[in-house]
Amino acid sequence: MPPPSSCIRGLTRLRAAQPSIACRRTGDASIQTASFSTSSAHYAIVAKKKTISTPPPKRGTKTLNVKKGRKTGPVDTGKPPAVGERKAMRKRVVLSNNNALEVPSLVDLSEENVLDTKNQGLVRGIPEEAVDALRAVEAFKPRQGWSLFRRPAVLYRRETTELAQLAKGVEEGKKTERRIVTGSRMSGKSTLVLQGLLMAHLRGWAIINFPEAQDLVNAHTEYGPLPGSSPTQYTQDTYTANLLSQFLKANKHLISLPMTTSPTLPQPLPPRATLRHLLEIGITTPESSWPVFTSLWAELTQPGRPPIMLALDGLSHIMRNSEYLSADVKPIHAHDLTLVRHFVDHLSGKKTLPNGGMVLAATSSSNSPANPALEFSIQCAEARKMGAKETPMWNPYKVVDMRAMEALKNVDTLHLSGLTKEEARSIMEYYAESGMLRAKVDEGFVGERWSLAGMGNIGELERTSVRMRV
Amino acid sequence: MVFIFGFNFPDSTLVKRSLESFYGIGPSVSRAILARHHIHPWAKVGSLKNPTVLALTADLTSMKIENDLRREVQDNIRRLKDMGTYRGRRHAMGLPVRGQNTRTQINTARKLNRIERGGMGRVQM
Repeated sequence: MPPPSSCIRGLTRLRAAQPSIACRRTGDASIQTASFSTSSAHYAIVAKKKTISTPPPKRGTKTLNVKKGRKTGPVDTGKPPAVGERKAMRKRVVLSNNNALEVPSLVDLSEENVLDTKNQGLVRGIPEEAVDALRAVEAFKPRQGWSLFRRPAVLYRRETTELAQLAKGVEEGKKTERRIVTGSRMSGKSTLVLQGLLMAHLRGWAIINFPEAQDLVNAHTEYGPLPGSSPTQYTQDTYTANLLSQFLKANKHLISLPMTTSPTLPQPLPPRATLRHLLEIGITTPESSWPVFTSLWAELTQPGRPPIMLALDGLSHIMRNSEYLSADVKPIHAHDLTLVRHFVDHLSGKKTLPNGGMVLAATSSSNSPANPALEFSIQCAEARKMGAKETPMWNPYKVVDMRAMEALKNVDTLHLSGLTKEEARSIMEYYAESGMLRAKVDEGFVGERWSLAGMGNIGELERTSVRMRV
Repeated sequence: MVFIFGFNFPDSTLVKRSLESFYGIGPSVSRAILARHHIHPWAKVGSLKNPTVLALTADLTSMKIENDLRREVQDNIRRLKDMGTYRGRRHAMGLPVRGQNTRTQINTARKLNRIERGGMGRVQM
């Protein structure tokens, strides 16, 4: 018996011989290469990929670093938006929604009923003509919910009635009412200013609105020193010209009044000039816009002219240094800007409106720089209103702007708190009638939403019931 | 196009940016120049009035910027080199002047430390 090793050798010999026989027989070459082993292919010398062997770049030379597989965003092939297009989109105010239902029961406010206390707790429409005027003075803000409903309407809330009472007092006694509108975030401060402007417009007052105080002080518009002023005051010509054009659009009932004074302006006025001629000089030549504004003011304060409504949103911006720089590279205080000075003088009570009028300044909670002077003044005003014997002490460790403190020393506040349940119900019924709230508005539902909205914060109420639908 | 200090700038350029394109004017100097002429920081060159542009150019002419400043800096370095000081030599070799280590990271020195510091002239934007 042969040893096992020789047996295996015999077998392998047989295996090696067999294919050669088969090949010869059939002439098939493919079978010859077929094998159980893959090692020959595995160990075969693979031709190396040709690499460009360049020496590394010299020190200090710049090289192009383009790594493969680096994440790049989707390639944007679209046309970039034109100059100013994105800002226009951001600032666009939409005041109607064709998909919302018309509310048949909606009554418009008018000259007769706008100061009526019977409106309290009801939703009232804004007449077409007033919408145009309010739009011209930029009283509608882009982020407010006007685009949800068929046409603009406002809730005549408790604070609105308070404002209407003040307006009545102004008309009867030629008083100058000054108020800072305060309240928590989304409590309707800007909307209350809008309601004030609406009342004033419907009652035939002159309305002047500074829609964003920030725009006055953030150094985005031209400025220049006012000749002959000491300490130096600064005018903002482009802004003032724009303000005058807003005045022209919003106060159509006043611009045909004849001029009673004869101001000295860079351009002469035509004979028998009206306010329109005066305004047009200021609009077309921004350099003369400030003299035009002062002479317009002189005209408006003549005896027999209507009361004036001055409004501003974002008060804390103008109660500190502005972003503008004086010639010796020191920040200019906001109160040294002529327009701001004009507003602040009337807000502080330093100047009064001879024909009566109202000065409203709304604070903002979402866009307001820290302003301890304003905060402290509001605290004091609220303490005064409550009849507290001791006024609050100010924190000596906080840097307080003394000019702001001085200006706000005796200004009262108009505080906006949450809606009452009746008011909430009224506005929610309006939502439901507009088809924007698909629920049965009953006591339980109103109570639930009222609580969800932080005890009737109107902005939150709108958010939870109209904007956010599950 | 607006001419400021002999150079042309497109209307849409910020005034601040156009000033800072001059050798010797950085953020703080440009801020001071803008303040002196009552130009707001976001003003475009195209929005400037003619008298302002002339005043700006006159102001820039009185300042030591561009080639005057380059010459001064280069003269200072040349003086060091001519005296044969260590600082002068280091400048000439393009190596750090103030005793820094040179094992790694001397790119700034390689870039800046040379006799002809600041280049030879201004390139139009």
